Amino acid sequence: MKNEYLPYPATIEEIRPETFDTKTYKVKFKDQKIADSFDYKQGQFAEISVLGVGEAPISITSSPSRKGFLEFTIRATGKVTDEIHKLKVGDVLHIRGPYGNAFPFDALKGKNLYFIAGGIGLAPLRSLINLVMDNRSDFKHIKILYGAKTPEDMCFTQELEEWKKIDDTEVWLTVDKPCDGWGCSVGVVTELWKETNIHPDNAVGILCGPPIMIKFVTMELSKSGFKDNDIVMTLERYMKCGIGKCGHCNVGEKFICVDGPVFTSEQVKKFPEKEHVL
Amino acid sequence: MAKTINKNQINSLLKEVEKEYKAFAPIKGPEGDVLFKLLCDGEVALGSEDVVISPKDIFFPQWETMFKFKDGQIEETCESAPVFLFGIRPCDLKGLLFADEFFKRDIEDKYYLSKIEGRFIVTIGCIKPPRKDACFCTSTDSGPFAKDGYDLQLVDVGESYLIEVGSKKGEEFIAKHAKFFTDSDADTAKTKEDAAKAVELKVDFKKALDLMADDKFTPQEIYERIGERCLYCGGCLYTCPTCTCFNVFDNATDGKGERVRNWDGCILSGYTREASGHNPRTEKWIRAARRYEHKLKHDCKVTEKSGCTGCGRCLSSCPVNIGMSKFIQEITEKRRTM
Ligand SMILES: Cc1cc2nc3c(=O)[nH]c(=O)nc-3n(C[C@H](O)[C@H](O)[C@H](O)COP(=O)(O)OP(=O)(O)OC[C@H]3O[C@@H](n4cnc5c(N)ncnc54)[C@H](O)[C@@H]3O)c2cc1C
Ligand code: SF4
Ligand code: FES
Repeated sequence: MKNEYLPYPATIEEIRPETFDTKTYKVKFKDQKIADSFDYKQGQFAEISVLGVGEAPISITSSPSRKGFLEFTIRATGKVTDEIHKLKVGDVLHIRGPYGNAFPFDALKGKNLYFIAGGIGLAPLRSLINLVMDNRSDFKHIKILYGAKTPEDMCFTQELEEWKKIDDTEVWLTVDKPCDGWGCSVGVVTELWKETNIHPDNAVGILCGPPIMIKFVTMELSKSGFKDNDIVMTLERYMKCGIGKCGHCNVGEKFICVDGPVFTSEQVKKFPEKEHVL
Repeated sequence: MAKTINKNQINSLLKEVEKEYKAFAPIKGPEGDVLFKLLCDGEVALGSEDVVISPKDIFFPQWETMFKFKDGQIEETCESAPVFLFGIRPCDLKGLLFADEFFKRDIEDKYYLSKIEGRFIVTIGCIKPPRKDACFCTSTDSGPFAKDGYDLQLVDVGESYLIEVGSKKGEEFIAKHAKFFTDSDADTAKTKEDAAKAVELKVDFKKALDLMADDKFTPQEIYERIGERCLYCGGCLYTCPTCTCFNVFDNATDGKGERVRNWDGCILSGYTREASGHNPRTEKWIRAARRYEHKLKHDCKVTEKSGCTGCGRCLSSCPVNIGMSKFIQEITEKRRTM
């Protein structure tokens, strides 16, 4: 029987700073057999350990279409994530996974896609965005709407520029607090509704960000005519095991780590109100 | 023909069992309390003693090392020795079978499952309820005698125990240890009937499950009272045979140490706190609701079985008199009991 709780060593091959507290880590399993068997889908997460410190669930931000490595974008917010930030290229992390369900992919083919993210929420979406970009002709028009607190809090700024250059793809940025020379919008991400047309026709909205942002964006999308089934989002809960055993992420009879983290608005509406999922 | 074993033969039989199994039984400690322990830890107690903690901790220990590590190298520490469980109560059997199913579901939990491999279970029916005012197993249909799920079941018929065989393994065991057993035509119907009558606490469990099955049914006022009264000691969760939540952490110095899991519970305030500080269950009543809804509603949705075994430990271990039976009385009889 496989011991699902055992993590495997992976070497950090590259570290890219994203913001003052967030970095992207490109890692590779030491054991090629483990690397080959780590078959993940867009939107899944992994449990990352620093031995002696602990474990944290982190979304896999790389796209399954780009093989040979894994990428994680990690914000330093506590014990484990602070410790990860102290590591250097060549150091080792311990990883197990992949866990959770995934963003739809085949079901999105032939549709207009709206990717809407806040802050570090762009990390899990990036996995799907790059998978879509690697199969660009299968999809219609794409809009990426991204908001952050300040321009310095934006992740993947270079990649946002590259996505912009792809045919039939728009990137709209907004910040709560601008700095000198900021050329894009100001305000929360729903402010972008004033700047660009958001059409429900043959479209799906895919959201990731803090609960408050998801809540308001879902409301805006509904107002714009999106059906609950065409609004897809990821939920976050405190997690320990990642495999439906420790109980921490339970909501109703579901476990966010196994039944999620990706849900449609229709599913989210069925969660008991008192669970405050959003 | 049915078999019996004389009570004074039990210790000799268990001596034989110990050669093959890691054998656990209710053991009376020097202070007089009874807990599931290894046979070598003391004297077996098969009367109506209250075994305060359910036998779940044999397979899901309160504190368990998952693996050790040193200088980045991981060493798996996963125990497995066939366990012989002697003298567990029918409610606890139901609890164990429930936990087995949970740890097998979806992704398997090796720590738990390796410990139940080859397990042999001998239940003992309760002639008198061990937690006198708290046991309500006749309402949950889990006692005072088990109907299935055991390998052997003991029925106290005075000088001896009549043996009920519940599995092929049980049959083989009797054949193998034939010298301890004698034929008997004792009738146990009256014993069982009297035992069921001795369980005085009765609740309308079916009505409770029906009420709870309705998503709109939220007895918030009752949850609020429980939330206010509860001391958050965790006693009810730790003694419950079907509570399986755990926390995971590293216990280490200088990169050398162990990853550990230990019991945790949904009623505790840190249980759902996220790294951002955001906690979706800050209000006490929501945490109280979680516990009752999990056992009486969510478990039924997923497994068609409720997570309550009627063992009554939540009530008997609670310093402030909160318990599942009280909650059920409140919602079904519409009267205050807490
Ligand atoms: C599915 C999923 C995907 C995620 N993806 C990403 C990602 O891609 N990038 C990213 O940066 N983050 C991500 N996160 C969030 C990330 O998992 C957390 O930031 C991380 O777990 C923090 O761990 P830590 O050890 O650094 O913090 P810790 O130091 O462990 O602090 C956080 C935890 O400790 C507990 N805690 C803290 N203080 C106390 C206290 N006083 N008392 C009791 N308990 C306390 C809290 O319960 C909290 O959950 C994701 C989370 C989930 C669930
Ligand atoms: S035993 Fe009683 S006081 Fe302790 S946590 Fe359970 S309900 Fe609360
Ligand atoms: S994280 Fe353990 S059950 Fe979901």
